[in-house]
Amino acid sequence: MLSRDEAQVVFFTLEVAALATILIFPLALAAALALARYRGAGKGALETILSLPLILPPTAVGLLLLEALSRRSLLGSWLAAHGLEIVFTWKAVVLATGVMSFPLLVRSARTAFEEVDPRLVGLARTLGCGRATAFYRVTLPLAWRGVLAGTVLAFARALGEFGATVMVAGNIPGRTRTLALAIFHDNQVGRDDRAVVLAGVTVALAFVALWTTELLSRRLGGRAEE
Amino acid sequence: MRTALFVLLALLSIPGAGSGEDVTVFAAASLSDALEEIARGYEQASGNKVVLNVGATSDLARQIQAGAAADLFFSADRAQMDVLEKTGLVRGADRVELLSNVLVVVVPAAAPTRVGSPADLASLRRIALADPEAVPAGVYARTYLESIGMWSALRDRVIPTLNVRAALAAVESGNADAGIVYRTDAASSRRVRVAFTVPPESGPKIVYVLAPLATPRRPAALDLARRLGGPEARAVFEKHGFRVLAPR
Amino acid sequence: MIEIRLELPLAGSDLRVEAELPAAVTAVMGPSGAGKTSLLEAIAGLRRRARGRIACSGAVFLDTERGVDVAPEQRRVGYVPQDAGLFPHLTALGNVRFGARGDGGRVETAIDTLDLRPLLARRPASLSGGEKQRVALARALATSPRLLLLDEPLAALDVELKERVLPYLMRIRDEWKVPMLYVTHNVGEALALAGHVLLLRNRRVEAQGRPLDLLSSPGLTGEAEAGIENLLPGRVLAHDATGGVSRVELQGGIPLSVPLAATRPVGAPVMVAIRAEDVLVSSAPVKGLSARNVYEARVEALERTGIDVTLMCALPAAPSPWLARVTPAAVEALGLKAGQPVWLAIKSHSVRLL
Repeated sequence: MLSRDEAQVVFFTLEVAALATILIFPLALAAALALARYRGAGKGALETILSLPLILPPTAVGLLLLEALSRRSLLGSWLAAHGLEIVFTWKAVVLATGVMSFPLLVRSARTAFEEVDPRLVGLARTLGCGRATAFYRVTLPLAWRGVLAGTVLAFARALGEFGATVMVAGNIPGRTRTLALAIFHDNQVGRDDRAVVLAGVTVALAFVALWTTELLSRRLGGRAEE
Repeated sequence: MRTALFVLLALLSIPGAGSGEDVTVFAAASLSDALEEIARGYEQASGNKVVLNVGATSDLARQIQAGAAADLFFSADRAQMDVLEKTGLVRGADRVELLSNVLVVVVPAAAPTRVGSPADLASLRRIALADPEAVPAGVYARTYLESIGMWSALRDRVIPTLNVRAALAAVESGNADAGIVYRTDAASSRRVRVAFTVPPESGPKIVYVLAPLATPRRPAALDLARRLGGPEARAVFEKHGFRVLAPR
Repeated sequence: MIEIRLELPLAGSDLRVEAELPAAVTAVMGPSGAGKTSLLEAIAGLRRRARGRIACSGAVFLDTERGVDVAPEQRRVGYVPQDAGLFPHLTALGNVRFGARGDGGRVETAIDTLDLRPLLARRPASLSGGEKQRVALARALATSPRLLLLDEPLAALDVELKERVLPYLMRIRDEWKVPMLYVTHNVGEALALAGHVLLLRNRRVEAQGRPLDLLSSPGLTGEAEAGIENLLPGRVLAHDATGGVSRVELQGGIPLSVPLAATRPVGAPVMVAIRAEDVLVSSAPVKGLSARNVYEARVEALERTGIDVTLMCALPAAPSPWLARVTPAAVEALGLKAGQPVWLAIKSHSVRLL
């Protein structure tokens, strides 16, 4: 069905999407918690900035990342000085997919956290939990479904990321070519037949991802809480 | 307020000066600067409007095959034109081989990299090429490297880009250590310098082919095609660094 | 002793409370919006904008002048909200164990005190209101708190459940000896549990003192609800099967006939509950009445409670007054006033054994 190279592309895509999701997970939860709990100056601005990758064209996001990493920028020159290369490597793929998926996870997690009765958190504090412990023992267990849904969504988004990735990581076979990029490339060089096969793989992956969430959510949640 | 809007809309719907037509040209990315200049002159003279769509020749050919409406196709190699001719979208008799170009190896202008010969490329980490699988500029570059036996050594360092201008941009930004582009592209940018010119004799034969699409084949399109072969256009092409081929 | 000098900014007007509460049970009472819940939350450490000084049995929770503001998790204050606030994702046992440190000892004692053994594996969603409150109480107790804050713990329960849970609260007070602040609208609960009353109105302290003294103040008008105003401890004396009654001796040697409760062993301690509205009041000695329990008493005070009038009647031998509820028309008709001798009649059927 799939050639050796194509199989490599599939595994690479899965690895990169998983890594990106894992890396953004703690950051996104922290951001979601901050947005859910705190009221104050600057919250609106923070919300907007965090949501930008959701609304901006992925290519625009990719361009911003490219600028931020270019040798002329502060970050870029620091990286260059330390011999760290990100652009045109798999690290750029992780970065681009992570950035694009981030707001999705933040949104889902934030809604989930907001639905947890804050009084329960207060009660946990009186029972001896510090802020962090109250989060782990009360907020997170009560919000896990929303967080899980957000994580799967982020993962699925990472699987399909194209615009930002192609800008900042390029479409280098064997090194940064993800499924989405491979489909594009096959179409570009007139190999639509292979492009269709790869597209079929993405459908299958998305199906599995979504079905797993359904299953998990029903098994772990539904029965125990009747 | 509403009256102002109506007036604005009315003004916008008035066709431009002259009852001109639109001529759509799909052209290789390397031709963009030269064609823009030629198009401006043509528009003033004829009253027609030129719609210029530049990109990787392979990409454009694919678009035309998929049904994109184009009047003229200006390809950076014979292979892509052949594809269209085989599918009947272009008539063989209409093809004109207009231009040639030269490949160069460029490096970032500020970088101290020295590439005196192709062998020096082996010491570099990243080399940007337009996609060597399909885009003419990349295919030419690969053909050249294969001919000197360096392709297998270098293929892992290749960063394939969407088109030749993207390869140029990668070198300009320093994200690639070097790139192989057309001499005309290198000339258009101050942020790269030419490190090494591929000798035309040992390099692949670069041929730009122009042809009108079999349909619609409008008079305005044929007119522009003729002008592109004419003396004024020739002067512009040469100014940008292209080599104009002797007319057939 | 609990020392409170609190200033808390709130929507509307700020809460300002200055009080020194004895280290037993204090009932916190007052109209809705008076600031009772906010006071409890501030003491628990859940209101970060609180200013002033709060100390409990020597432990300082808050002292703005000295820059002390102890985090809630360090205060060791047990908080039981009105609807129990159980963690839905844990079983009853999980809830009780939640804040317990290291030793399981306190947890087991709390479970036993509140009779939770049969409920431990159940989830909050499957528990009744009264069961939830008991779990919440045990959860707070299991942390060995130095102070218990109870926010209308019985308010959401119907009368029968109230009667069932109240004895547990008394048990906590007597066996665990933890000081409590107990928010309630119910005069009966306050009388049953508290040794001190703090009355709030409009975000300020209106009065504080002994329950009896305060109950004659106009402050509680309209707030008290019907319920188990009379909770009397006693001992089972004897059972009379043919007569269909059991005899109980209340504190002070007062005899009481209750419906036959043969299951209770003779000599066993028992808690008796009588609703104030079930106490009949007569201005003349009672004869020929079916009610078995008639007592001579003296009206100590009259208090308007809602549309009715509550009478505090002192019996010669009883340690605390009994409450009777009558209509204003009755007060008028009988010419009831403070100091007047009356006769109280209670049907044995009106008595409930807890």
